[in-house]
Amino acid sequence: MVDKQGEGARGQPATSAWSVPEGRRTDEWSQCVVRIAEHRDRAAFAKFFSHFAPLIKAFALSGSSLSAAHADELVQEVMLKVWQKAAGFNPEKAAASTWVYTIARNCRTDMFRRLQKFDTQLEAEDVGFELEGDEPTMALHASRGAVRVRELMSDLPQDQAQILAKVYMEGKSHSETAAELGLPLGTVKSRVRLAIQKLQVFMDAGSEE
Amino acid sequence: MVNHHPDTNTLLEFAASSLPAAQSVVVSTHLQFCSKCRQRLAQLEGLGATMFEDAEPVDINPSLFDSVLARLDEVQDDRAANDANASTMSWTVKQIRNGNLEELQWKKVTRSLRIADLGDIDGAAEFSLYHIAEGGRIPQHNHSGTEMTLVLQGGFSDESGSYHAGDFITREAGDIHAPTALPGGDCICLAVLESPLRFTRWHHRWLSPLLQLRAG
Repeated sequence: MVDKQGEGARGQPATSAWSVPEGRRTDEWSQCVVRIAEHRDRAAFAKFFSHFAPLIKAFALSGSSLSAAHADELVQEVMLKVWQKAAGFNPEKAAASTWVYTIARNCRTDMFRRLQKFDTQLEAEDVGFELEGDEPTMALHASRGAVRVRELMSDLPQDQAQILAKVYMEGKSHSETAAELGLPLGTVKSRVRLAIQKLQVFMDAGSEE
Repeated sequence: MVNHHPDTNTLLEFAASSLPAAQSVVVSTHLQFCSKCRQRLAQLEGLGATMFEDAEPVDINPSLFDSVLARLDEVQDDRAANDANASTMSWTVKQIRNGNLEELQWKKVTRSLRIADLGDIDGAAEFSLYHIAEGGRIPQHNHSGTEMTLVLQGGFSDESGSYHAGDFITREAGDIHAPTALPGGDCICLAVLESPLRFTRWHHRWLSPLLQLRAG
């Protein structure tokens, strides 16, 4: 099966929008996590909290997917995990912001499952995949050209941007997104693929198969 | 060399953690085989992280920080916490990831087919391992929902082609196939189905209920 949208990406140069050198901001937060890990540094933790807690709360409240009380609970859970997992963070593998995003994402999925009373014995972490950072492009978030990506984002047609926001920020599956927007599932899928192509997310050229 | 991969939509749902648990296990096991998809996952997670960072921050009540601070000392060491809370299902997933497949409970279905039912996840999926003896065949069946299959060992062929270890195959509802293990060794596959599969040949109909037996 060949992905028609993916084909358009064939022939993109190896340097995609994601490979421009690293910014200081990312570095600052990575240093924070390292200090938390090595020195149980509460001042570093406070600094990290003041930057990321409001973002985690925004993430939790996206699309009103959680109540304000649950959003606060999520902020607490994620920040406790930051404290707990800091020793496992490797600044060479990933940017701190990507690391904390994956923690927030997993905690929220688990919270969704608890609230929907899914009888699942698995947590998001059990079924997820922790990237080891040994791939040539692993550090792309840390080293991506944030300006360029954001430029591409702002050029994204509204119907595609809206769907990406639902999928990432609200944590909706494609079928949930389709139901909410009253669109056929196939339309949601193709808009997602178009957006990924326009944002030049994949550095490797070509189709998926 | 892995030739068949999850599509962009599936990988993105996985990256955003909105793929159901059983399907996520199949995707994450594929990732162990496939550096190309690991790269793609990193890129998709990077996009999610960018959107996360660019969100409009929402004010936090200062008391929230105090309650987090007060709880820092309660936080258990990561590994101890995980072991203490490990469920049977997460144990099962670990065995699959580590290739300890003989640890699981297998049921013999035909001379050449054994199945380990992995149980109910999120209440919807049929989630199983299939062990097909070299040259053996799974009776022709169609799907009432999307099926995702990952070849863990050996290989199989069906009407659409041949698949080898690491290959990730998606079959849509209505597809009919009769997978046959390739020569050269037994074939083991991990598969998740949105809803139970039905055999199309009348003389195999008796097999359907058997496939749904719980392994326990």
